[in-house]
Amino acid sequence: MDPVALTGFDVVGAWVSIMLTLMILSFLYADNPVYKLAEHLFLGISIGIGVIETYHGVFKPNLIDKLAAGNWLSLVPLALCLMLFMKVTSSLSPTVYRKVGWLARIPIAFIVAAYAGVKLTGEANANLMTQVAQTMPDLSTLWAQHGLWDWSADGAGVISGVLLVIGLAACLLHFYFSAPHGKAMTIVSRFGVLVLMLSFGASFGYTVMGRISLAIGRAQELLGLDRPPAQVVQIHPRIASVVGTVLIIAFLVAWRARGGGQEDAAA
Amino acid sequence: MLKLLLYFQHMDRRWIFLGMGLSILLPLLFPVNFSFRVDERVQALYDSVEALQPGDTVLVSADFDPASRPELEPFFRANLDHLFRKDVKVVVLTLWDYAPPLVVPILDEIADRHHKVYGTDYVFLGFKPGKELAIKAIGENIPKTFPTDSRGTPTTELPIMQGFKQAKDFPLLISISAGFPGTREYVLQIQGQYDLKIASSCTAVSAPDYIPFYKAGQLVGLAGGMPGSAQYEKLVYPNGPPEGQRLLATQAINVLNLGHLYIIGLIVLGNIGFFLSRRVGEEAA
Repeated sequence: MDPVALTGFDVVGAWVSIMLTLMILSFLYADNPVYKLAEHLFLGISIGIGVIETYHGVFKPNLIDKLAAGNWLSLVPLALCLMLFMKVTSSLSPTVYRKVGWLARIPIAFIVAAYAGVKLTGEANANLMTQVAQTMPDLSTLWAQHGLWDWSADGAGVISGVLLVIGLAACLLHFYFSAPHGKAMTIVSRFGVLVLMLSFGASFGYTVMGRISLAIGRAQELLGLDRPPAQVVQIHPRIASVVGTVLIIAFLVAWRARGGGQEDAAA
Repeated sequence: MLKLLLYFQHMDRRWIFLGMGLSILLPLLFPVNFSFRVDERVQALYDSVEALQPGDTVLVSADFDPASRPELEPFFRANLDHLFRKDVKVVVLTLWDYAPPLVVPILDEIADRHHKVYGTDYVFLGFKPGKELAIKAIGENIPKTFPTDSRGTPTTELPIMQGFKQAKDFPLLISISAGFPGTREYVLQIQGQYDLKIASSCTAVSAPDYIPFYKAGQLVGLAGGMPGSAQYEKLVYPNGPPEGQRLLATQAINVLNLGHLYIIGLIVLGNIGFFLSRRVGEEAA
């Protein structure tokens, strides 16, 4: 069989994918039934995949297979799991919850304790100690490697090292509330705010870039630019996109004509 | 002109969406080429893969989902191509439940292209829940964490896994990370403890959080977002894409540039309009 030859299911799947993308994008015009349909499909399928993966990845190997092999110790995590579900009795009956709700605290205590232990060591070692050490740059090494400012290494050098230390100190002092902020402290604090703003700006810039990247990914699919050319000639994604767009616009026009989305327009 | 600028304060936001859509679609339909340079962090990632010897085995944690696919799939593809081209063996696993349907077809496709044998040259161990606890377990004992691969073969019987019990047995761990759990958790949980060499490809949103890890030497390389993937593609495919293939991130990077210019333009116009409307308001008062 030709490795690039697609089956009918592949072609239909690609068309469905394009249609669903356009249905979701129709939300940019207004909240509408086509969008809702795609949204509900997405939620249902996501939950379905999650349930199946969890069954095959957790319950089957860790419980069912072990019980089938005669490992009765696995009943202990099963019991803890069932005890955790006692928490939901609060929404069923207050009387039942008063009697059995406390049982959920035991597995929750296990989870909290385990995660606290796991998180604490990792955060203390890798995030706190190593990063604190890195905020004390060796200026002589920086000078030897990059000089004052090295454009080829994204501005590494002595100036960047000094700015890092001053910026960090200013940020920390901005959050120092045990003494009143006098004139000098206010200047330092404002510099700290400036550094924080730069940091937030960089994070926001990266976030915008990430979101545009996602939009580009969808556009690549709609235009058939995300597949090898040999597959594109079998799927005809651009035809699917045009057909889908026309159908959705026709639906939105009819929906508006029947009075749909009036609340949205009023808002 | 003043009226137009003031109009930006009250315009229907759907015009902005339309403009964004056009700024993405038009350059995809009529490509433009901006040159871009390779970042030091991506170069370091590429060099760490280049330093591997034929016959070495790397551990790849492919932790992404459909939402992060445009940013991370190009890196995953180029990285697998790079590894197989160097005759490096690849053990892939995931901590994300949505990843297997995305990872398996790509892995099989690229392995087939290089005539690699499943179980000997590459393997997919499957999905493991547990987040940080799973990462801890990967650090301690991989066959115990993944008793079988995704096809049901006992991990201890796989030729590729002979001699590999812990994460530290691999000369390089490549974390393709869309968020939690991902690169950050690998660094926090096992990098320092086992002194692992970890390289990361992450989404743009995560990149600012991971750059300090690279600066501190906790990561040997970092490719952030779509630009990171495009730069890695540039290094892996200096002569353009392989026949019949596309370089998705390289294709997208020019579009990304125009998208950013559009956003910057809106921010500038919006601010001018804001200050003008305030001045007009003051004058009216």
